[in-house]
Amino acid sequence: MDPFESIKATFFQECDELLTDMESGLLAMEAGDDDSETINAVFRAVHSVKGGAGAFGLDELIRFAHIFETVLDEMRSDRLHLTDEVAKVLLRASDVLADHVAAARSGGSVDEGRTLGMIADLQGLIDQERAAELGLDGDGSDDGADEDFGFVPIVLSLDEPAADAPEVDVAALMAAATAPAGAPPQATTAAPAWLVTFRPKAEMYAKANETGLVLRELARLGDVEVVVDTAAVPPLDQLSAEQAYLSWTIRLRGEATESDVREVFEFVEDDCELIICRDGEPEAASAETPTVDDPESDAPASAVEAAAAAPLDLEALLARVQGEPAPEAAPPPAAMPQPVPEPAQAAPKADPANMDVAGLIALAEQASLDHVQAAAPPAKTEPKPDPKADARAERTAAAAGATAATPTIRVDLDRVDRLINAVGELVIQQAMLSQRVFESGLARSSDVALGLEDLELLTREIQDSVMAIRAQPVKSVFQRMPRLVREVADMVGKKVRLVMDGENTEVDKTVIERLSDPITHMLRNAIDHGLETPEEREAGGKAIEGTVRLAALHRGGRIVIEVQDDGRGINRPRVRGIAVAKGLIAEDAVLSDDEIDNLIFLPGFSTADVVSDISGRGVGMDVVKRSIQALGGRISITSEPSKGSKFSMSLPLTLAVLDGMVVSAAEQTLVAPLSNIVESLTPRAEDVHLVGGRDAVIRIRDTFVPLIDVGMALGFRDEPLPPASGVAVLVESEGGGKAALLVEAIQGQRQVVIKSLEANYQHIHGVAAATILGDGRVALILDVDALVTTSRRKAPRIEKRMAV
Amino acid sequence: MPAPGAIKTLIADDQQSMRSLIRTSLNALGINQTREAADGEDALRLLLAQPVNLVITDFNMPKLDGLGLLRAIRAHGPISKTAVIMLTGRADRELVQRAVQFGVNNYLVKPFTTQILKEKIEAVFGPLE
Repeated sequence: MDPFESIKATFFQECDELLTDMESGLLAMEAGDDDSETINAVFRAVHSVKGGAGAFGLDELIRFAHIFETVLDEMRSDRLHLTDEVAKVLLRASDVLADHVAAARSGGSVDEGRTLGMIADLQGLIDQERAAELGLDGDGSDDGADEDFGFVPIVLSLDEPAADAPEVDVAALMAAATAPAGAPPQATTAAPAWLVTFRPKAEMYAKANETGLVLRELARLGDVEVVVDTAAVPPLDQLSAEQAYLSWTIRLRGEATESDVREVFEFVEDDCELIICRDGEPEAASAETPTVDDPESDAPASAVEAAAAAPLDLEALLARVQGEPAPEAAPPPAAMPQPVPEPAQAAPKADPANMDVAGLIALAEQASLDHVQAAAPPAKTEPKPDPKADARAERTAAAAGATAATPTIRVDLDRVDRLINAVGELVIQQAMLSQRVFESGLARSSDVALGLEDLELLTREIQDSVMAIRAQPVKSVFQRMPRLVREVADMVGKKVRLVMDGENTEVDKTVIERLSDPITHMLRNAIDHGLETPEEREAGGKAIEGTVRLAALHRGGRIVIEVQDDGRGINRPRVRGIAVAKGLIAEDAVLSDDEIDNLIFLPGFSTADVVSDISGRGVGMDVVKRSIQALGGRISITSEPSKGSKFSMSLPLTLAVLDGMVVSAAEQTLVAPLSNIVESLTPRAEDVHLVGGRDAVIRIRDTFVPLIDVGMALGFRDEPLPPASGVAVLVESEGGGKAALLVEAIQGQRQVVIKSLEANYQHIHGVAAATILGDGRVALILDVDALVTTSRRKAPRIEKRMAV
Repeated sequence: MPAPGAIKTLIADDQQSMRSLIRTSLNALGINQTREAADGEDALRLLLAQPVNLVITDFNMPKLDGLGLLRAIRAHGPISKTAVIMLTGRADRELVQRAVQFGVNNYLVKPFTTQILKEKIEAVFGPLE
């Protein structure tokens, strides 16, 4: 692949992740989270999408992302505040952005009207004047922006970084700036000189400016002599790291004009006291800035040197630079470094080595700190707990744990599938080998047999690990649902809150891919049919906003997906009436509540009087049911009038292996999925009855269930097996119907690798798939559901409890 | 005239695609000694372990943004002279100004071409061989 194309593909993959991050952030915001970190994360996601789109020339995407980003930036800078309305607009904008990404990916385009409408809504969040200022009233492009910024690159020599004269080491500068005043600057030459008195205010540091860098700029203009005035520095125990105590007197020699000098201070002018005068001119400044000859002051100076010289670890570096430089985000006083009293008393003379490093940094470099709480002296002080800060820290930590702890690689799915296939073969080969060795008469305790046992364990482990590669959290499907719910709710005019649970539940990738449609359908159904209109809800004393809960959980080796609403529940008389009217059940059929509820899964059943655009697209719940059954899953519904309904579907975790019971019938070896099997028993002749002289039923305790002769059902044999000479395996179909499978013998339980029959041959009724057994023979896996359904259709009312 | 092959470069960006694009451009210029970091903290860690000549960093990154990374680099003696080129969005004038305050060597506006990247690097190190 063209490297550019492959990078582009990577970009789109990243977009998926970015869009997910964006949406989860927006959902948190919708729930009222206006934490700056959350807003920032959303902004960052949109910004990254835009950045990448720029690199690949995706103009439509850039245009929309730009406006979206601008609005988010307004929120970031507190010019736009989070309200319910704002959150809803942003969420819809995120949907449009996702559409733009999808369109850019597929080369399509997004409906222009939708885009423009969304742009108008976004612009509506910002008042017109500001929008014009931001350039949002135009076509959204910012081509006119000045790219030059009057920037002058700072030149570096690759070979001798220190050789360049203007290149001044920051640490050295800082040390020089705070050098003991024992050697005051001397006017040695007659060159014109400027005397600059620079007294930064705390605000300057709060805006993330640094004296060192200003001095460095100044040093470019000529020779500088810098004297720091530390007279204002209080004793350590009274020192506030947020305050500015130091001031500098700089004597600059060179050809620089006053405006050159002023320019250096351009960004800090408002936040410092600045006096620039010709050297020698009497000015108030010199009086205000006494020569610093206080011997005490050399302690802080050496502290600076110590701090500068000490190798800083990453933590300390991070602590010093982290945190947003926004002035309003000043840390609570409790979180500031509070140097311990004892060293503080001796502070000016204390041996730097004995001082707390963080304290030193705070003292020496308070100049460069705008956020010091992170550098609070460890252990010695206990900052008062700030619950909000704690919560934020936890969240950050959790986020860091989630992202940083697990480095990932992207692997082509084909490669994984090849691996899985090979491992499948390995499992079969290993089973065959075991069986051959066993058949050859080697003792179980022989070295070969023991070695084989280890091999089996290892094989199992490899298989589990490989399966785990394919396992993915259902999140990828779930994350698409909030949008669906929003759209459907809008369309039908209902208010819906979607609650999701268990998004991290893992399941095989192939299963995940096929979960999307059934979940979509169930959610649509829940909103369209399940929930009442806001008016009905109000009248019924319910919250106007309906709740739909989507949950995933593991249960007994299967994944269970539940869709639950708090709506009206199933109208049983009506369902029953429809079923009778459509001839699906007999008029006098006696059905339990559960059975009535499950009638909605029957083919051709639709309760909507008018087929709506939402859930009644000509497909009923029977289609959902069939697609789930095709995955080896089952679906059921429970409902309570006026309280709501709950759809539960359960699916196998993987479609690649299956725990099965190996049975033999008519000299064939067959596998029944273990998940279908309830129990097995040896039938007694008196428990078996013939209905209509042909179809057998067996009494198991007080219930009669159809007895299916597997050998006959699959056409292996024409004559029925005498029940008493076989074994009956009681199975339950996905739909809940029961039957007993009559086989000749049970061989044992085994995990088998599923091989598709359709892919290699064709579909056979009653057979779900095939597998290869340990002895190398092919065995068919029974489609229990098909077998049970066939038998029930033949004898529809047999299963009903009979009066005995 | 620095040999491009001698410029050890660290690319810091949270997007793999961006890192790949930058790396591809750098490689086209003959700058083959590149390493990549997915956030500022990661970048700092790599830098402390093994200094480089040039850091090309995005501004918007989780954990530690480009500005923070720049400040950390400048604050730490052994690596304080590393050249830093900041990637910015088009309208980030304010950001560039702040980066200047922290001693950024140059900036690079997204999207960029290999030629522009070359010019930006040459503005710092002099013409590439």
